Amino acid sequence: MIFEKRTERILVPMFFMVALFVPLFLESNSFFVGKVTTIIILSIFVMSLDFLVGRVGLITLGHALFYGLGGYLFVILSPEYEAVNFWVYTFYICGIAALIALVTGAVVLRTTGIYFIMITLAISQMMFYYFFDSLEFGGDDGVFIFMKPETSIFGLSFLNLDDPQHFYYLALFSLFNTLVFFKVVLRSRFGRIVEATKQNPDRTEALGYNIFAFRLTCYVIGSTLGAYAGFLFALQYGFVNPSFLAWEMSGTALVMSILGGLGTIYGAILGTFTYEGLQYFFEHLTEDWLLFMGSAIILMVIVLRKGIAGYLEKLLEK
Amino acid sequence: MANDIVLETEALSKHWGGIKALNDISLQFRDRQLHGVVGPNGAGKSTLLNMLCGTLKPTSGCIFHKGQRIDTLKPWKFVRRGIGRSFQKTNIYPEVTCLENCAISAQRRFGGNFNLFASRHSNQMVRKAAEQALAQVGLDDRTHTIAAEISYGEQRQLEIAMVLATDPCILLLDEPMAGMGHEESQRIIALLKELKKTYCIVLVEHDMDAIFELSDQLTVLDNGRHLITGTVDEVRADPRVKEAYLGAEEDDAEEQAA
Amino acid sequence: MTTELFFVQLINGVQYGLLLFLIASGLTLVFGVMGILNLAHGSMYMVGAYLVWYFATVTGSFTVSAVLSAIIALSLGILIERVLIQRLYNRNHLDQVLLTIGMIFVFNSLQSILFGNDPYGVAVPGALDGGIPFTDNSSYPIYRIFAALVCVAIAGVLYYVVSRTRLGMLIRAGESNREMVEALGVNIKSLYTVVFAIGVMLAAVSGIIAAPMRSIVPGMGESVLITCFVVVVIGGMGSIKGAFVGALLVGLISTFSSVLMPSMSNMIIYIFMILVLLVKPQGLFAK
Repeated sequence: MIFEKRTERILVPMFFMVALFVPLFLESNSFFVGKVTTIIILSIFVMSLDFLVGRVGLITLGHALFYGLGGYLFVILSPEYEAVNFWVYTFYICGIAALIALVTGAVVLRTTGIYFIMITLAISQMMFYYFFDSLEFGGDDGVFIFMKPETSIFGLSFLNLDDPQHFYYLALFSLFNTLVFFKVVLRSRFGRIVEATKQNPDRTEALGYNIFAFRLTCYVIGSTLGAYAGFLFALQYGFVNPSFLAWEMSGTALVMSILGGLGTIYGAILGTFTYEGLQYFFEHLTEDWLLFMGSAIILMVIVLRKGIAGYLEKLLEK
Repeated sequence: MANDIVLETEALSKHWGGIKALNDISLQFRDRQLHGVVGPNGAGKSTLLNMLCGTLKPTSGCIFHKGQRIDTLKPWKFVRRGIGRSFQKTNIYPEVTCLENCAISAQRRFGGNFNLFASRHSNQMVRKAAEQALAQVGLDDRTHTIAAEISYGEQRQLEIAMVLATDPCILLLDEPMAGMGHEESQRIIALLKELKKTYCIVLVEHDMDAIFELSDQLTVLDNGRHLITGTVDEVRADPRVKEAYLGAEEDDAEEQAA
Repeated sequence: MTTELFFVQLINGVQYGLLLFLIASGLTLVFGVMGILNLAHGSMYMVGAYLVWYFATVTGSFTVSAVLSAIIALSLGILIERVLIQRLYNRNHLDQVLLTIGMIFVFNSLQSILFGNDPYGVAVPGALDGGIPFTDNSSYPIYRIFAALVCVAIAGVLYYVVSRTRLGMLIRAGESNREMVEALGVNIKSLYTVVFAIGVMLAAVSGIIAAPMRSIVPGMGESVLITCFVVVVIGGMGSIKGAFVGALLVGLISTFSSVLMPSMSNMIIYIFMILVLLVKPQGLFAK
């Protein structure tokens, strides 16, 4: 069983059951379906960050780099007025993102601790300014994606990305796969050494493991999935702009993952939904929602140290 | 006889700025022998051990393992050559079980470390090797206990089990008896007596009685210099050793008084 | 590039570098002594700029406003340390990052509530208005020279305090050994409060000095914060000397690159930082 804790065995099926049926009771193009799709996509991004920060121990403040790359890579690779194949381009985008992660990872993983935080931030800022200042990619305004990809496999098409409901299920399916994938990876022998490296890196190295290689592999995995989430997000809204890879994006994702329960993987879903829910609530309550959000984060750090998942586990385990 | 030499240092030195932590040390460690290293605080014992396992790089001099120069290798490559070390301060994975601690050590040899999909519990060889290592140090009854919850003495035993699980031929042990009671120390001594029949052991230890009882060869370091290497009796008879130790004891006494 | 333009840019670069140093010194001081990574440091710069603008419009005097703003910033620093930062001493970097991100949100929101989102400018104080003739047809603003001198003066005071005074001795000791400071009979808590408050004030004073040279806009804190990160990472976290060298390098590089290759200028300091870290992963003056 890849879900070891009782809490996840209860919460995960519950979430996906509800999520599976919710759109059936709503207008296909309602605001709500679109909003929830966005949060689901964001959950994938946050989950990939949660894996890196909570499980591998790489506190990155530059994860949004890959979120933005997911969108920009699509714009760079695809012809402007022609529908390309979704699956093929997913493969391309993830492949190139993985390659970029491999190269940047080899640089940033030379540093540790506070320097790692800063250099990840710097690299993502660098790319932020690259797109921000570029004329080719619309600078500040970003680029529009005019044609959504078609999704046929061997001539069979069962998914229409222009239909919000279909897109919703694509996002949900991706989230489920991401969750299962991370759980499987963490249960593997590879995952054992990853956990060991986080708990005690020196000892793990003293036992003969090349911890750099393990960290780099994880960095590539997490970054690639982050890019995939960014790709989906760009497709949903039909544009990509530099704010995708702004540091605020990385910071907010970090807050979400901690709010959910750092390192729990499934907590990323809890954190993202809660954060977005709170933001939605505050936004409608007052113009100055940022004040409440900020105070809520400060309070969270001081009081709710193990996140929502930690709290629920306290209630449900044993 | 010369073929027995598995690990050798040649004019090994480590300088920190102007301070010579270790100066011009040439030693030979033989298979199936326990080679004790003693010396007052600051003599350079830990520095020596850290260089033998690759975590510290020498300022000058070389280390040879079975005739091949290894001091330039990355630390994790030392382990792959069969050089395993334990730590002075307990250095385990506190959050997981004793079995898992040893499984982490054992797993490397069996491959599949980058297999992302196969469950970690699927390989029986890893499990067996881990259980065997626990049995070797006498921790069989603690297999499924979380490492943080066993006693300090048992954690020291686990520390050794983790090294054994890497299937080394050379054991570098850094004060395995530090902070132990008499009875626990006796257990470790008995264990080391057993182990030295099959491994080359380099033992750094403060407990003089233990080291005199165990050592086949004994090296005394003082202030980063090599004082003497010989059998226990030779070392005991040497006047320089007494001097070094008496001096050190005075220092200790002063420290305590201050 | 003409010689004339070169010298103007050189002075601009040094002046910008000195200002960066003033901001970064607070960041690196707080990190070096307390081990706290304060992401809200840029917000303190913003606070300084907005306060001096507000008081200047109310009182009409830049000097009075500057003093008032600095005092408020100092009190704010003490308050924040006592209420929030103190809870972070035994926490990891992650909690520090989060809590200070929360603080950024709060400060940005307060700025928007109290002062609105329009850009503002502060008039250059009368005595310092005008320029020093440079060549026949160009001059260099006096205020910029003045700002650079103030930065140098503060850097000098900082150097004196850290290297010559009892407080400085405690700061240097606290960096390496917490227990030792406590053994000296000093309450480490009050030392930390003082250091944090000084850090906040340094950022705010930079904002005050910068106010007449730059427009006061929302988000000014974050952009300056990230530039400061580059500065302290290049110099080596916690090293004040490193911050000084890093700040001048960054100041010069970004000034010249904005003239020589404008399309790349925003990126170039990050590229430079990555190069530095490739050679020295702990920065130029790592401890």
